[in-house]
Amino acid sequence: MCANHTEITPNPSHFEDSEEASQAPAHRDIAWNDYKDLIKGMRFFDPHIHMVSRTTDDYQAMNQAGIVALIEPAFWVGQPRTGLSTFKDYYSSLVGWERFRSSQFGIKHYCTMGLNSREANNEPLAEQVMEILPLYIYKEGVVGVGEIGFDDQTPAEEKYYRLQLELAKEAKLPVQIHTPHRDKKKGTERSMAIALEHGIDPSWVIVDHNNEETVKSVLDQGFWAAFTIYPFTKMGNERMVKVVEQYGPERIMINSAADWGISDPLAIPKTAALMKMRGIPDETIRLVTYQNAIDAFGKSGQIDVADFESGYAVDQSEKFHGNSILRGGQQPAPVKDFLVIN
Amino acid sequence: MSDIIKQKIWEIIASNTSVTEAEWLQQKGVSMPGVAMPGVATPGVATPIELMTAFVAAPRFLSKKIIHTSDGEKAALNFEIPGFSVDGWSLVRLARVWLLTQLDPSDKEEYVKNIETLFDTAEMNELVALYSALPLLSYPDQWLFRATDAVRSNMGFVFDAIALHNPYPEKYFSELAWNQLVLKTIFNDKPIHLIEGLENRSNEKLAMTLSDFAHERWAAGRGVPAQVWRLTGKYLNQTLLADMQHLFDSEKEEDRKAAALACSEAPLPAAQYLLAKYTDLEKSVKSGALTWADLEH
Repeated sequence: MCANHTEITPNPSHFEDSEEASQAPAHRDIAWNDYKDLIKGMRFFDPHIHMVSRTTDDYQAMNQAGIVALIEPAFWVGQPRTGLSTFKDYYSSLVGWERFRSSQFGIKHYCTMGLNSREANNEPLAEQVMEILPLYIYKEGVVGVGEIGFDDQTPAEEKYYRLQLELAKEAKLPVQIHTPHRDKKKGTERSMAIALEHGIDPSWVIVDHNNEETVKSVLDQGFWAAFTIYPFTKMGNERMVKVVEQYGPERIMINSAADWGISDPLAIPKTAALMKMRGIPDETIRLVTYQNAIDAFGKSGQIDVADFESGYAVDQSEKFHGNSILRGGQQPAPVKDFLVIN
Repeated sequence: MSDIIKQKIWEIIASNTSVTEAEWLQQKGVSMPGVAMPGVATPGVATPIELMTAFVAAPRFLSKKIIHTSDGEKAALNFEIPGFSVDGWSLVRLARVWLLTQLDPSDKEEYVKNIETLFDTAEMNELVALYSALPLLSYPDQWLFRATDAVRSNMGFVFDAIALHNPYPEKYFSELAWNQLVLKTIFNDKPIHLIEGLENRSNEKLAMTLSDFAHERWAAGRGVPAQVWRLTGKYLNQTLLADMQHLFDSEKEEDRKAAALACSEAPLPAAQYLLAKYTDLEKSVKSGALTWADLEH
């Protein structure tokens, strides 16, 4: 997530090469038939996607494209929350309904828990959220504290970032850092410096939304560098291919960060297809679109690849809190078309 | 709540945990009167948030195996709190319940707020532990809304935690809430004989509602589990007597047995008269060869 969507018109970010962007096809223009053969048999893990704002169609398409597992970081829902209850409901949905919904489409759902940087600026509310956060970060299937870090780079953001780093340390959980859209380079450096200052091993930290300007420093300092393929505002996948060509697969991972904005939940399979077209070795593709995310977030002890690596069993007649994903008249797949209903 | 029950639960935990697991629980800084682990320093008193966090984190530190309890342990628990049982629980569930018993109840407002926060933030397995712990919590009246809500919720495991083998509803539910619980158990095709206090809380309203319920089922061409008629015997009237006749006419042997058992318990002379028409059944009921236990599945 995390695009700055307050602008009315799509805003090519300061790091984007506008000339190149206009020439290369955006990954959102690639149709399924154009690339499905290229990624046949590949498995993908999206370590950053906000499914709470996506539809069932997305889940179906993701499953069809080979995405077997994902991580949903707790973040900004597009408008400010007004009280603690909405935070509780949101966090509960990440380990509850959304996890269930995902399972119904053959995708294993994990999440990271945290107080996001924007909302850290509402200090009275942030204080309350910090009180209940320990009750969420230890829940089953929570693979990290995230996404946390800076947005405006205010003192309040720094305060809650530091507090949450301590929480992560205490809970022995990886940290997922959101790097800011504005003044990204400085924000990224500052985020890393603070994490090191708190004595956190950089191999436990995933720095997100990198670009050509930040990647070298992130890798040199021993952190994981995650890249978000997100139209207009973050990485394009043409650029992503070049990054992988230049830096190789070590400690690099790709995500979609798809959310309520103009974003693409299929960004990973499409980027994999593009990498394949450009002759990047299969093993490199596997590392940056699947394995590295598992290695990084697996430090939480909460990821068992046996749950998804050989497919994920789906029973759409299952219920969560008495509710099914099926709405009036819909039948669990495979469709059973009986005339007589007993 | 007595310290004895906490200690009894701890003893079961101790016999089902590895040294590392037991140490983790102790390191949570829990105060355990009368309990000492060899080689482990006496723990201090944990703050509520430490206990609550341990409650959430338990699956990260404890195995998910099902615990084993001896007959003596079972009897001891039942002696302290009649109807309370931990049979078939996982170690995590038991440890969570035990952690809840360590919360200091002396400041009521604080105590209630902490438990409420756990309910508000709980995922499904945590809810199961919270509802399982209701008979052990202080200020039992405070949890009535939560408990009746669990009956309403349709969450399978959570429903079981409040409805089956749990002495809380028998003790604290209103008649309306109790009847809902029993009906919902029947509706969900779960065995009512696992509800604690089934006999004690039987009532005429429930018996009559059950008749309506059965009529709906029969109209839809479905049946009602035979043992649910055990809730009607004492309250047989003309309406229910007609239901008994329906059962005696059923093709299912269990239905006929249920009718015989219900009639035999009825003070209504017409019920005895009806039963007398089915000589074999009457004989097995009167001789004690047939009991409700035969219909428990």
